[in-house]
Amino acid sequence: MPVWHDETLELQKQGKLRMVGIIQEQHPERARLFMQWKRMDWPVMVDSLDLLEVTYVPITLLIDEHGIVRRIASPRADPTALLSDFLDREFEALAKERTGTVAPPNLATLDAPSEPATAADWREHAEALYLWGRTERIDYAIGSYAASLRLEPEDGWTHFRAGVAYRRRADLPAARAGDFARAVDEWGTALEIDPNNYIWRRRIQQYGPRLDKPYPFYDWVAEARRDIEARGEEPEELAVEPRGAELARPARSFAASEAAERDREKDDRIHRDDGRLVEIETVVVPRSVEPGATVRVHLELRPKPESKAHWNNEVSGLVFRIEPPEGWKVDRDRIELDNPAAELGAVSEEVRRLEFEVMSPATATGAVELPAYALYYVCEGIDGACLYRRQDIEVRVSVPTR
Amino acid sequence: MVRIIGILLGVLLVTHTIGAQLKLPPAIAEEKPFPELFLPSLDDGRPVSIASFRGQKLVLHVFASW
Repeated sequence: MPVWHDETLELQKQGKLRMVGIIQEQHPERARLFMQWKRMDWPVMVDSLDLLEVTYVPITLLIDEHGIVRRIASPRADPTALLSDFLDREFEALAKERTGTVAPPNLATLDAPSEPATAADWREHAEALYLWGRTERIDYAIGSYAASLRLEPEDGWTHFRAGVAYRRRADLPAARAGDFARAVDEWGTALEIDPNNYIWRRRIQQYGPRLDKPYPFYDWVAEARRDIEARGEEPEELAVEPRGAELARPARSFAASEAAERDREKDDRIHRDDGRLVEIETVVVPRSVEPGATVRVHLELRPKPESKAHWNNEVSGLVFRIEPPEGWKVDRDRIELDNPAAELGAVSEEVRRLEFEVMSPATATGAVELPAYALYYVCEGIDGACLYRRQDIEVRVSVPTR
Repeated sequence: MVRIIGILLGVLLVTHTIGAQLKLPPAIAEEKPFPELFLPSLDDGRPVSIASFRGQKLVLHVFASW
């Protein structure tokens, strides 16, 4: 794309050609940063739900002045050669094939489909709410996708889009426990229905293990910000910072780290938090692991507002430990999270996240619980005690049965 | 000779498989109008359709920044 942009700059300036984009991303604002970095200032539309139903990207189309696709360009096509014929020709409209433009619905008058509603009715309702209802309607969009799937449980597109909606809510303040896991589950079901859809597969790879990544996802973000700042500009803000799996470099092999020194006995004496103070959510991506393959495990730790719990940032950071059973490997069996930057203050309530990878033995079957625990300083109530606590976690990894 | 035929068959199979994977949806094809679908603009979320650009020749990139 940057090649097309650079080679057609003059044509764009002369008004002979317009560049337009449609992006297929879960976090669209990252594309905005990318466009700013590459100085590509053309209009871009967001299709996170993949309403176009493309199964791969990039796709480059030459569209004439009547809105008719005249050429589908190969990714390796030479822009200049391809455009010379396209720009010189005068195309005729195909009047009888033109379809009417369907305007976005008016959400103020958009009711749920009247019964008996079809799966397609509910899916369209969900899409309207997702696209145009902004974040305020996300709960309703998810509900309508669920209604559609009850009627047509084998519809891969609806599973994929429901996953997009769950993941979107997982990134919002309105997130509910289990949203991210539901997204991974919906994407997994979609991919079982059609294993050849690259867009669906990429959505799982985005949060999945390094062995599954053909190339990294958002490793360009740091460089883009540096370049933009060096130009004296302010980089576009990201609503959701890429982290963990999204920045991880692909790996060709799974190299387990040296086992860290274990203070099992000492740690065992630490007072437990049974989940009353900190809620821990575990999401395994993809949702199951083939024998000998790898999954990436995401852990989110949230101080519970009902206990007025908050982190104590004036002491050491959070520690996570996992002890895989015989034959199972982890890339790190001890993870330490530093306390957040000083601006959050002595106490804070933010979600803390960590990720690691688990490789199953070649003979694995069924589900396995990998014992793990987290150690953290958490305070209870406004002036309550701040204690060092341990919470035991069971990381459950499933191997599909054949 | 058998080996060469095997390699050629392998190349054909790989080419065919890649071709099968890179299939566009029926709604997107040469000599057909691009689907008239409204999507939110990346800039401000306003509804935009490819039809909004009628009268201009376009290069449309369907892409992702990853």
